[in-house]
Amino acid sequence: MPVRALLADDLRPRLIAATIMGLFAGGGWLLLEFVGVDSVWAKTAVFLFVLFFLLGTGVWIGLALIGVAYVGIEIFTPRPAGDAMITSIWATASSWGITALPLFIWMGEILFRTRLSEDMFRGLSPWMQRLPGGLLHTNVVGCAIFAAVSGSSAATLSTIGKMSIPELRRRRYPEFMTIGTLAGSATLGLMIPPSLILIVYGVTINESITKLFIAGILPGIGLALLFMVYVAVWHVVWRGGMPEKDPTMSFRQKLWNSRFLIPVLCLVFVVIGSMYRGYATPTEAAAIGVIGALVLAAAQGSLNWASFTDSLMGAVRTSAMVAFILMGAAFLTLSMGYTGLPRALAGWIASLDLSVYTLIAALTLFYIVVGCFLDGISAVVLTMAVVEPMVNVPAFQEAGFSMIWFGIFLVVVVEMAQITPPIGFNLFVLQGLTRHPMSYIAITALPMFLLMVLMVVVLVVFPELATWLPETARTATAR
Amino acid sequence: MVGMLRAMRRTLDALYLAGGAVGAVFMILILLVIVAQMVARWSGLIFPGGPSFAGYAMAGSSFMALAYALNKGAHVRVSLLLAGLGRHRRFAELWCYGIGAVLAIFFARYAIRANIWSYTLGDVSQGQDATPLWIPQIVMSVGTVLLAITMVDHFVRVLLTDHGGHEEPDVTEREN
Repeated sequence: MPVRALLADDLRPRLIAATIMGLFAGGGWLLLEFVGVDSVWAKTAVFLFVLFFLLGTGVWIGLALIGVAYVGIEIFTPRPAGDAMITSIWATASSWGITALPLFIWMGEILFRTRLSEDMFRGLSPWMQRLPGGLLHTNVVGCAIFAAVSGSSAATLSTIGKMSIPELRRRRYPEFMTIGTLAGSATLGLMIPPSLILIVYGVTINESITKLFIAGILPGIGLALLFMVYVAVWHVVWRGGMPEKDPTMSFRQKLWNSRFLIPVLCLVFVVIGSMYRGYATPTEAAAIGVIGALVLAAAQGSLNWASFTDSLMGAVRTSAMVAFILMGAAFLTLSMGYTGLPRALAGWIASLDLSVYTLIAALTLFYIVVGCFLDGISAVVLTMAVVEPMVNVPAFQEAGFSMIWFGIFLVVVVEMAQITPPIGFNLFVLQGLTRHPMSYIAITALPMFLLMVLMVVVLVVFPELATWLPETARTATAR
Repeated sequence: MVGMLRAMRRTLDALYLAGGAVGAVFMILILLVIVAQMVARWSGLIFPGGPSFAGYAMAGSSFMALAYALNKGAHVRVSLLLAGLGRHRRFAELWCYGIGAVLAIFFARYAIRANIWSYTLGDVSQGQDATPLWIPQIVMSVGTVLLAITMVDHFVRVLLTDHGGHEEPDVTEREN
């Protein structure tokens, strides 16, 4: 067989396109290197253009951030960019703080491959069906429980959804509510500890991850309650069309049905409790979680070589993905410091003399828009270098908005973005699970979106919801 | 010639998978180091440099698996434009892999340089472990070189063959 058979049929347009792209990139580089830009405005414009161009054309976020940071250092300083890059990247990639990430990811991957999703539905449904709104509550409570063993909302969504969607459909629950509650509740995965996004936030701004985790507990439960109240109210108002109830069970039968759920709840309790009481650092709690998850999986008989390696390789992929973003962000933060953009922007905001509440409202809008294009973790690392100097100011602290509070605020806002088109990641997962068009799923999720807006308001009015519990916690240190 | 190319394809794919496997071994190492550290603390012993070792294992796990994750489509990107281009997506992918290859080679070049400098200057860790830094930094050199190879490999294939350059992230794989 000749080599020609391996090649595609018409190569000419591709070769031309590649040449043009090469000239474009090479020309840009030559301009930067040898002509240079003088005014600060032009430099800022170039910097922002490169940022949006690389991200917008679909370059992997970690690499795009490295590219932007490189350009930033090249045009704003005479320093050599390459060595500064490696120093900042190595410091982040090998830091103790982020070791909690892979372990929590792994823990979720192990439990994801157990029979947990069947057990969740079977264990929860007898308790939920007497409530107004019936088995729709299994979506909310199931997501809340799985959120406590997993840090991602996509994993939460697919674990709970793959069992509850067919079960609820079989019982003829209204599809609109089934999908909507699922889309909304899955975002609890980001809020209820362990939360990948809070680890990333904590590492980025050097804040205690334990405190952030503890801070997420009450708002997470609050949000779950809001969703449940909505389901109940919807049931009372709407009335018609609710399916027959399953036969009622005695208390002992109910308990028997949820026997597999209880060990999972114990694991949640041990992992979060050990951090709260200060017995373990987040990384150590994650290690306990991984071992506990392996024991649970083994006890259930779902642990074998294939599921073990699957969970491990899945965790390696996700953790490398997050680490890559963090590497890029570390270099970008350094570069941003040289550009002076964050300071200038913070100064400008301060000169506007906005009230704290106006600024919070503006940031809410800003993050919803950013979240329409970026996933939660990227949105946080990309913006924190600029946003931190804006919000880490006395005016915020006086209003009760510490950086811990801001982390929780950020999570709620990023959660909202998960269920907003065009990029809401939960919408993609649900599309894969249900085969409904994206627009329909987005509409079912709209009421949940509004409830989250309400949650932001509650957080702003009562910042203690997030800040009270962490103050009562003790923190362990690594050494 | 074709036989040679086929062999190269198999070798490269095996190489990326091997990177992922080494990453997995490092992930297990993180777990072991953390457990050892906890056990040591509870039994009143000291495990000097535990946090540093966990950090090195973390770096090992992330750097070694960078190429594997890219090959599996696990790295996030803004896919709005890519998805919108439909059948012209190849041109955007060409750009991404092209600029990606340039950036990855740049990354690898400086990673190796920093690694060599750590060796010649005899840099040691500032933690209690006092490890010579060039040893854990090897994973950075190897991992970034692997990433650069993957980028170039995909670039060439997107340019010359029918390979579209992307794998959908496995959301649906999780259904089973």
